[in-house]
Amino acid sequence: MKNIKRMLVIFLVAVFVLSACTPTATPTAADVAPVQPTDVPVQPTDVPAAVESPATEVVEEAPEEEGTCLVVGATYGGPINDAGYNLSMHEAVAAIKENIPCVEIIEAENVYDEAGAASTMENMISQGANMIFATAYAHQNPAFELSKKYPDVIFEHAGGWMMSGNFANIFGKPPDLWYMKGVAAGMMTETNKLGFVAAFPLAWTNVFVNAYTLGAQSVNPDVEVIVAYTFGWGDSAKEADTTNSLINQNVDVITMHVDSPQTVLSTAESRGVYSIGYQNLAAQQFAPEYWITGSGFTLGGKFTWLASTVIDKTWTPIFLRCGFEDGCMKLAPFGPAVPQAVIDKVAEVQAGLEAGDLLAFAGPIYDQDGVLRIAEGEVLTDDAMSTVDWLVKGVIGSPK
Amino acid sequence: MSLLALLGVLSSMIYSGTSLLYATIGEVVGQRAGIVNLGVEGVLLISAATGYGVTVTTGNPFIGVLAAILAGGLINLLFGFLVISRKANQLASGLAVMFFGVGLSALIGKPFVGQKINSLPRYMLPGLDDLPLRISSLFRFDLLIYLVIPITILVWWLLFRTKWGLGLRAVGENAETAFASGRNPNLVKFQALFVGGLLTGLGAAHLTLAFTMNWAEYMTGGRGFIAIALVIFAKWHPIRAIVGVLLFSGAVAFQLLLQVSGVRISPFILDMVPFILTLVVLVIWGGSSKHAAPATLGRVYQGTE
Repeated sequence: MKNIKRMLVIFLVAVFVLSACTPTATPTAADVAPVQPTDVPVQPTDVPAAVESPATEVVEEAPEEEGTCLVVGATYGGPINDAGYNLSMHEAVAAIKENIPCVEIIEAENVYDEAGAASTMENMISQGANMIFATAYAHQNPAFELSKKYPDVIFEHAGGWMMSGNFANIFGKPPDLWYMKGVAAGMMTETNKLGFVAAFPLAWTNVFVNAYTLGAQSVNPDVEVIVAYTFGWGDSAKEADTTNSLINQNVDVITMHVDSPQTVLSTAESRGVYSIGYQNLAAQQFAPEYWITGSGFTLGGKFTWLASTVIDKTWTPIFLRCGFEDGCMKLAPFGPAVPQAVIDKVAEVQAGLEAGDLLAFAGPIYDQDGVLRIAEGEVLTDDAMSTVDWLVKGVIGSPK
Repeated sequence: MSLLALLGVLSSMIYSGTSLLYATIGEVVGQRAGIVNLGVEGVLLISAATGYGVTVTTGNPFIGVLAAILAGGLINLLFGFLVISRKANQLASGLAVMFFGVGLSALIGKPFVGQKINSLPRYMLPGLDDLPLRISSLFRFDLLIYLVIPITILVWWLLFRTKWGLGLRAVGENAETAFASGRNPNLVKFQALFVGGLLTGLGAAHLTLAFTMNWAEYMTGGRGFIAIALVIFAKWHPIRAIVGVLLFSGAVAFQLLLQVSGVRISPFILDMVPFILTLVVLVIWGGSSKHAAPATLGRVYQGTE
């Protein structure tokens, strides 16, 4: 009996230590956002030759029936009905089939790890896939390895940085949208306190918090943003606790950067507090009354275009980063509580960002300690975003 | 620190502590009969996924609660088959149930990810209707919260004030003697595990249908293991478990309060506070609990000739 008890205590100690230090879920591409390479886009001049020959072979090789012009394989890091990032990627892949009916789609969801991703994609290729969309962060390495083994197959990865003759990367540009959402939140708040539920203090989360705060401050200089971390991409109970503790600090607008927006939005709704979504436009259903707006990835058009270039054999590896101005991201519809003045102001800001008159990260920008991070006349470049370890003045919470 | 923030900590303790208390007293019942179930985490997950799925399908959260309770009981019976009928090692079997639960719950819950549910209705504490919504919403509780303390007392009464409870504890102390006094130890162990599973299922139902209003894979995030630790903390006593649960969920709420108050301590460290606290308590209590644990806890009952 003593031994059993001793083992039990040792075991529990191990479990606590582990559960205190490790994230419970694998971050998806949207969560660990992309590192930007320095030399992009890849010069298209030397590429067509490399792409042409595999593309011709593909057509002969594919064992498809009459009428199938392309077989697309897609892998997702989680369930495609998550009302979040994976749903967005699934919708983008489904758009290919809608726009080009002769395309055949093979999909695999809940592909968490690298080993699973490699075997899944190889299986798709053996079923005749000549184009692969690997949409999770953890799928980049295995896809890149496979691209060497199968030079005839075109690989597109979402949210990474690797490039080669038959491997390219595509993603949206979320910061501008966060700025717009900040403008809406800054106008809607009455307590001048906004809450941000985040999974981990990561560089890209910091960028989102900063863009959101700067947007809110642009219309309401007194606004504060409080950030709190759950240390898990899908720990729902912690998300509910965190949302509540923010609301108890008199926060009256809540937003989040975790896998599924469901718990945070439902909790805010149950407390009668405004909310702002992320990852997918479908999040609105969880906050019918107090929804302000949200943003999501709408990459269907670009995915369709990439597939069409594979079909007509003009595909070249392009490092593609596209924002709302290219239709790759979208602001969600506004909720019933949002006055027209807010909608008009956000539209004005959107027009300014689109025209380039307005930049989300234009200096001078000071951090929480008053240190000048971006000088007057300078901007935070796309490259620098992946290493941001500071939060702007007006944010309460730790950036690391 | 405002009044709202302090009341908020209290409300958070109650909300996030409820599922933990159900799971803890469920494990107390099993361990009192001499069986350690390390698979609480898995039982919680399977119950939560089942309850959520049934709620989405039927649109009625109360049917979902029933489904979650039943699922918990059934999985514990399966565990009982392993460790009682097949006489397998309890720790190894418990871990197997844990991993089985993680996988099976993902499978069950898959179609219901991202689906909206009618969550368990919440009722205001009487007399608080006049307070502003921000405060009064802290004290709108669902049925499972109102029931958790009465059920805990009921479990205490069953264990310590009924003949059935006496038999159950006798089996946990010494199955051979219990057998000699005319009880069927294996049957009692099965009963204990079944009741424990029902209670764990209640906890899972509260977690998914009332608190988070969401199903996500591995959403329990280690709460099943916390429940096992709290059993030791509570010295295998249901009433003392209330203190342990409030301590743990209070620490979670308090570290979040520190985070959102702008305290300049790394959030990584703050996040560990509840676990460190539990560890410290375990270490302190660990040495002095020898008289409290059921004497044949974890031992396989080989049957009496």
